[in-house]
Order: sequence, then structure tokens, then C-alpha cells
Amino acid sequence: MFLGKNSTEQMGLEELTSAYRLMALSRRFDERMGELNRRGVPVPHYHSGIGQEALMVAAVMPLRRTDQMIYTHRGYGHLLAKGISLREIVLDLFMKAGGTNQGMGGVMHVNRPDLGVPGREGAFGSRFAIAAGLALAAKLDGRDDVAVCFYGEAAGARGILYEALNMAVLWKLPVVYIAEHNGWSVSSRTEWLYPEGSMSRVWRGFEIPVEVVDGNDSETVFTAVSRAVSHARAGNGPSVVEGLTYRIEPHIWKDKAAYQPSEEIELWRARDPLLRAAKRLIEFGAGKDEIQSIENWADAEVERAFAALETAPDATWDDARRQMETQ
Amino acid sequence: MSTTKLTGHAALNRVLASELAADRRALIMGETVRLGGSTRTVLRGLYDRFGPRQVIETPVSENGIFGAALGLALSGYRPIVEIYTADFLLVVANEIMGDIAKWRQQQALPGPLPIVIRGCTGPGMEGALGSEHSQAMEGFFHHEPGLVIVTPGTPRDMAGLLRASLRSPDPVIFLEHRRIYEMTGEVPDDEGFMIELGSAEIVHPGNDVTLVAWSWMRSEAENAVRVLDQEGISVELIDPRTIRPMDHAAIARSVARTGRLLVVEEGTRTGGVAPEVLVRAVESAAKPIRIARVTTPDVILPYSPTLELPLYPNAKTIAEAVRRLVASDRSAAPVAAA
Ligand SMILES: Cc1ncc(C[n+]2csc(CCOP(=O)(O)OP(=O)(O)O)c2C)c(N)n1
Repeated sequence: MFLGKNSTEQMGLEELTSAYRLMALSRRFDERMGELNRRGVPVPHYHSGIGQEALMVAAVMPLRRTDQMIYTHRGYGHLLAKGISLREIVLDLFMKAGGTNQGMGGVMHVNRPDLGVPGREGAFGSRFAIAAGLALAAKLDGRDDVAVCFYGEAAGARGILYEALNMAVLWKLPVVYIAEHNGWSVSSRTEWLYPEGSMSRVWRGFEIPVEVVDGNDSETVFTAVSRAVSHARAGNGPSVVEGLTYRIEPHIWKDKAAYQPSEEIELWRARDPLLRAAKRLIEFGAGKDEIQSIENWADAEVERAFAALETAPDATWDDARRQMETQ
Repeated sequence: MSTTKLTGHAALNRVLASELAADRRALIMGETVRLGGSTRTVLRGLYDRFGPRQVIETPVSENGIFGAALGLALSGYRPIVEIYTADFLLVVANEIMGDIAKWRQQQALPGPLPIVIRGCTGPGMEGALGSEHSQAMEGFFHHEPGLVIVTPGTPRDMAGLLRASLRSPDPVIFLEHRRIYEMTGEVPDDEGFMIELGSAEIVHPGNDVTLVAWSWMRSEAENAVRVLDQEGISVELIDPRTIRPMDHAAIARSVARTGRLLVVEEGTRTGGVAPEVLVRAVESAAKPIRIARVTTPDVILPYSPTLELPLYPNAKTIAEAVRRLVASDRSAAPVAAA
């Protein structure tokens, strides 16, 4: 899997192809979950990432394995791009043995410290400071690893953002904060929560790099985050990328999202990050059949993950204990 | 084993210095820590000796500090976080109980999560610190299964329990009573001196009543025991030393002999630690026992020391409660005395 071997800040055919694979996998999985949901299967704690794939995937691709990443609850592209398998995510989601946390934290706490995914907090906000601490550890160690912290409208309105940012600037920490501006926080519009709907303006007072980008354009996201990551790696401190995107699906499985105007959803469907990436792949010289084969691969991967689910037993306390006791 | 007479302040300072020297991944972080921390004394000299990598001065950003401590611990460091006064742990209740205490289980992570949270508690000798500086905080946090809570009652225990906390694989809240900072006592010089977390100390053996008290209340209870001894009431005084884990077994063994249990708590009455200790003793006793508690009443502490100081349990009120418990009818069913 591609994990940012390339040091350039532009996506070439190879990078965009890798991104497309991960985005297609993320999308197929969400579509499959949508089908389950429509059939009435309860899927607690599942949050669809449809429409936000570029921001999830292309922002993680510039990272190394040893870089730390804190993800949001929405969408699974961040995790896939950091190297966690869909199988593990699905097993965690359905509280089966064999995922990453054996029923102890479900899909809310998917983690693989060996891949730079230490886990996630459930009461949103601590992430800003946890990421600062991960970055501080890298700095104290003399490693040039960075910490990347995704956040949504909810966490971004917590005061801890200010505390962590103040420390990150004060200590020049190698941390990148990425705002997922997706138009909604449950049923609240972003503009109802932030002055003029800006999730990143608050950071500008510290005179650090703040970039607002088209979050549905893989290449733009990749370039902006690559720059921010290089800035951090070089010891120049924190920066922020706000990606503008849109939550196509309801907040959570039980939500009917009647508050979300269908014209608005249609407008954003037209800006689908996968369609745009596919178009660019063609421009880069990829064939339609190559794109189709990626789609087929994604379908097969989703089938494989769900097949593992069929046979996986429910996680038990013993599974968790065994995992926690292995060093 | 050689010992030195030290104050609580000095005992803590000595352990911190030796542990920072022994493990370069141990680091202190908090407000004003560069010039000695909120007490000015416990951290004295540590910044000069260990520098800004191991003694990290932070802004007044409790949520930021505690979150960062978690990030550091996840990266192999051993953060020792000082809160300006333990009452302010409420500012970071979620970081402590929602994030730090639950992290390993929710992630099913193997390995340690060594975070020691130190804070001062209690009214000090003069009182007047006010209701958001002098509360006993163990009652607020003992409900959370993922925490260790340590409440040393002497300079010696401060030293032995702090070292055990610093070497513990689990997150620890370490509560330092202001009056014990000032107390002096013999402290072992051995750099390996530790007291096992979760092990009570029988401070004074006795047969008529089991008396449980910790932190500063241990000293008040000791004074009560001396007076009661002269009256012919034999009290077994137990200091559990840690609130979580609580050494219920040691208490049960004693109560099996005495049949009476009095718990003293500096915190307020409702939903504190004392009721938990009492209920466990009743649940595990083979025959009916008599129980009572002495606590601070359910009040918001006033700033005026003349109003505040009489509210706390002291040797007199403890002795009085013991007398009442002994005088009460042995054969009666369990009741809670006042
Ligand atoms: C501190 C805290 N408050 C409230 C919640 C409940 N909560 C869960 S999801 C959510 C909204 C999330 O919105 P946003 O951050 O915009 O992310 P999105 O779901 O749009 O991706 C809220 C309020 C929480 N998890 N933590």
C-alpha cells in the first residue's frame, strides 16, 4: 500500500491511482453498510464517510508509517490509508474477535499503534492535546515524525483547541490539524456554529500556516497536507488545513436527516471526489478498464471483509484480556 | 535500613529527583514547575538539575496538559503531571476518567500507561483556602474503575507510595495533603524504598473497634486512639493508604475480630469513600457488625477558617464516635450510627 514514499507534493499517476483504490474501497464499504441499514440491520456507531473520501485518504497518504494519526468517527478512509485492513474495521464495528480491540471499543476505538494509529477519544476535543503530546514525544525523542489530527465541527468548537494550539506554537510541535468542514454537525449547519462558517480562522491569530482547500479534490488535499507535513517535519511547527467537503449521508444510522435539503445533496454529489479523481486518472492516461478493475477489486475486498465477519465469533473478555496481556 | 528525618515536601522532592535521574523518560509537567511548582517546595531544584526536557513548564491549560500527557505516555514517556491544587482536577475530569482511565481497555492495548497525577489537597494548618482549593478529592474520583488513587498519611508513606506510583504501569492520582507536607518523619534512604499500592497498614493494633482513616485523618485518628487507650478502649487503626485499590481484605480481617467499624473521611458525607468501605465490610462479614462514620458534613466549604476548620473530623469527634460505637448494643442488627 502506498504510504507516502514519494517526497514530492504533487500527485502523479501512481499516487492518484493509490488514492483512488483507497477511496473506492471506503466508498464501497459505506455503500454496503447503507444496504444493511436499509434492510433494518442495526449498525451502531457507524458513520458514513460518503462524499468525504478525498479529504480522508489524500490527507493521510503523505504520512509515514511512524507518523501518528488521530482520525474522526466519520468514514474509514483515514484508517485504510494508514494501513489498517477493512477486515479489522468490520470486525471491530460488529464487536467480533479478531479486530483491533476485541469488543472493548468497537469502531470508535480502532487502533494499531504499530501503524501510527494510537486510538481515539470518545468525548471529542482531547484529540487536540493528545496529538500535541504525540508530537512533543517525537520532538523529545529527536524523531522527525509528525502527528496529524483530524477534527470535525464538534471537536473544533471545544476550548481545548486553543490550549493545544497555544502549546503547539509555543513549543513548535510537529503537528498538523485537519478540519473536516462537511457542512453539518448532526443537524446543525457549520455556519450556525462558527462565525461565517470558518473552522480555521481561529488559528490565524497565531500566524501559523492555515490553508483552506477544496476537500473533494484529492490532488489539492494531497499537496496542502504534504506541505504542512514537510513544514512540521522540518521543525517549523504546527499548521492547519481546512478541507471543504460535504456529508452526503445522514449523521448516523438512525438519523433520517430530513433537515438536509435534497438539492444540496445533489449539488455535492456532482462534486463527488471519486468522479473527479477518475476523470483526472483518465487525463493522466489511465484506461477506463483500469478504473473498472479498481472498482472490481474494491467490491471483492468488501466481500472478503464481510465473509470474515460471517465466520468471526463475538469478541469475549478472554479475547480482550489475551490481547492486553501480550507485550 | 538507614533513615533520615524529612518533611513531606522533602520526602517527595527526594523521590522525584531519584526517579527522574533513574529514568530519562520520566518527566514532570505542569504550571509553575520550573520554579518549584504550586507548593514552591516539592519540585524545588528539579528544573535546574534536570532541565526543560524533564521538567516542562506549561501554560495554565489543564485540558491541554492532560491530553498531552496521554499522548506522551502513549509514546513511551512517563509523565508526572502536577495539578495546581487537586480541586482543579475537576477541570480535567474527562481527560482523567473519560480518556486516561479508559484508554487501554477501549483500545485493548497491551502495556503500561504510566501517568502520575500529583496534586495537593486539604485545608493546610490555617484553613481559609476556600471551597475550590481544599476539598478532599478522592471521593470524586473513586467511582472510576480505571484509576489508582493514592492518599499517603506520613512523609514515609509519601516517599514509598510515590515511588511505587511512579513505577506503576497504571494511571495514578496521588493526593498530597498540605498538612503532611509540613509533618516530619523518618524516611528510608534506600533508593528502592516502595510501599505496595493496595496494601493497608495496621497503624495501631487493637480489639474493640476497627478504625479506618487515611491521609491527614490518620493523624487525627492516632491522637484519638491514644486518648481511648487510656480509657480502656482498644482500637485497631488501619490506614488503607490507597483508595483504589482499597485493601478491603485487611479491613475485613480486623472487623472479624472487633465486630465494629468506624471510618473517618475528610471529604463530605454523601457518596464518599467511607460508605463504600462500610458496605463492603457489612457484605463480607460472617456475622452482624456495627458501623459508623465521621465525615465532613454535606456543606460547601466556607472561606472563613473559623467557620471551616470545625467542620472537619478531628481527634475529639473521632474519639466521641468510637465511644458511641462501643457503648451501643453489640447484639443489635447492623445500623449506621451518626
Ligand atoms: C465532547 C462531546 N460532545 C458531544 C459529542 C456527541 N457527538 C457525537 S458526534 C457529534 C457531531 C459530530 O459532528 P462533526 O464534528 O461535525 O463531525 P461529523 O459527524 O459531521 O463528521 C456530536 C456532537 C461528543 N462525542 N463529544
